[in-house]
Amino acid sequence: MQKDEIKQVILDCEVEAGDFSVGGEASSKLKSLLHKLGIPAQTIRKIAIATYELEINIIIHTYGGSLKAEVTPSEIRVIASDKGPGIADLEKAFQPGYSTASQKAREMGFGAGMGLCNIKRYSDELNVETEVGKGTEIEARISLRESGDSNE
Amino acid sequence: MSNIHSVLLKPDKCKGCTNCVKNCPTNAIRVHQGQAKIKEEYCIDCGECIRSCEYHAKYGATDDLADLKEYKYPVALVPPSFYGQFTQDINPAKVMLALKDIGFFQIWDVALGAEALTQVTKEYIRDNDRTLISSSCPGVVRLIQLLYPELLGYLAPFKSPVEIVAQRAREFIKAELGAKDEEIGIFFITPCPAKMTTVNNPLGMEESYLDRAIAVDTIYHELIKRVDNLDDCCKIEGYDIPYFGISWASGGGEADLLEGISTVSVAGIHNVMSVLEELDRGDLAHIQYFEMVACQPGCVGGVFNVKNPFLAEFNIHNLVKKGINLVEQDLNKYDMNLQNSFKEKSIASLDDDLIVAMAKLTKLEKEIEILPGLDCAACGAPDCRTLAEDIINGLASRTDCIFILRQQVADLADEMATLAHALPPVMKRNKEESDDDED
Repeated sequence: MQKDEIKQVILDCEVEAGDFSVGGEASSKLKSLLHKLGIPAQTIRKIAIATYELEINIIIHTYGGSLKAEVTPSEIRVIASDKGPGIADLEKAFQPGYSTASQKAREMGFGAGMGLCNIKRYSDELNVETEVGKGTEIEARISLRESGDSNE
Repeated sequence: MSNIHSVLLKPDKCKGCTNCVKNCPTNAIRVHQGQAKIKEEYCIDCGECIRSCEYHAKYGATDDLADLKEYKYPVALVPPSFYGQFTQDINPAKVMLALKDIGFFQIWDVALGAEALTQVTKEYIRDNDRTLISSSCPGVVRLIQLLYPELLGYLAPFKSPVEIVAQRAREFIKAELGAKDEEIGIFFITPCPAKMTTVNNPLGMEESYLDRAIAVDTIYHELIKRVDNLDDCCKIEGYDIPYFGISWASGGGEADLLEGISTVSVAGIHNVMSVLEELDRGDLAHIQYFEMVACQPGCVGGVFNVKNPFLAEFNIHNLVKKGINLVEQDLNKYDMNLQNSFKEKSIASLDDDLIVAMAKLTKLEKEIEILPGLDCAACGAPDCRTLAEDIINGLASRTDCIFILRQQVADLADEMATLAHALPPVMKRNKEESDDDED
């Protein structure tokens, strides 16, 4: 078997809508698992931030969903999928500062409109598939190949 | 003194309970055959195990007063928290005179370095627009090196006040007296093992400017005896008490001095970890400075101190009330920049090779599924996850878990009962009945 064909799901968990009390647990767990795999610290930093934003997005904006992380020898893929409502204007959603977060979420310090921008900033490749009324699947890919440092 | 760590164990006192195991922030301790064992590569010398051991089996290595004789110019460095060990009638000048009486050639206040560092830090944050984590607590720095290497870039690129003052004192004595390096002995009076360890293992530097460290509880008795003989209103000519720097001794003191900067103060190693987890989730851009100390409620809570941490904090608060200004000093006389950046000390990975680590991770997750998840620590590891990791690394076995062991014994007993009733085919059935009668 070729090295690159090895693929391992290291995280697969449900994320409930509106449950801020556990927000961040999945990304913390993923972070410690990546340490166990010996992933470089600065790569972990990028993945942890992107994953946390994905996790919080599910909590704030969706009817619930799941978070999954896959490791191959060349990259980490974090996939967030939810049960809706879908993103109506994807272009707008990527604009810094744009947010559809509720007043409640904003009062808690969330919904600054940086979520998708941050995920894009910290991942090497970002794929979004969304359908209003159905749901969204966001895939953030972070390379493990040593090619230049992060854009921080 | 041990060259690697200053937290050590007295085997005859250890009862094999798991208090320290459960309190260790880095999961560095296991109990094996009735004895706690510290895994050196995981230990950050924070002293949590000393604090949590009811049997006083853990202790901190220390130099002592007899070591003063080895130097022509023994110098004492007094940390801010030391002043919390005395009530109001014993002022810092009195403490200094008593230290001189013990045999120190000069006494230097670490608080002066703290005041200087505060000013430089403030400027640095303004000029660089960066969020910093204080690098003054060696326990916190080692924690980040070990468990949060992704956050190393946040650590302030400055020496700790202790090192800053140690260097300054050494240079001063060399210049003023023409003393040679080996004639000068810089003794730090340390409130904690974390700082003790920096004498031999400095952080971000090749070599420490300290020569020795004496634990507060080792020097306290000698000092108190001498303080009692001193005049009540003694003063030292030309000595400005660095009240502001002394406020570093209690939680928030360091951050409060950074006027105009948004700060968060965290005391206690487990609290520090909870905030580092938050930082891991993204930039907390609205916070510019994190004061983080391993002990609660600040350095007054160091395990070598003799006074209750909260009463010591009260003493510090009373003392610093008298402060009006920072002590005027020439900041150019200090060399605050670290030579090296803080290095990752990662030991968390299961294997250096990613493919092997991935296979081990699968095994680890399976092992965790098997264990009961009660985190009782009866196996000698702090929790089931850690036991699982020890098992897959060949350092423990599944039957170290008493619940699994019991289950296996029960299974075995069932099997034996079944076997006992399975008669050899040559025997007659009625023999079994007569056996039963005998019971």
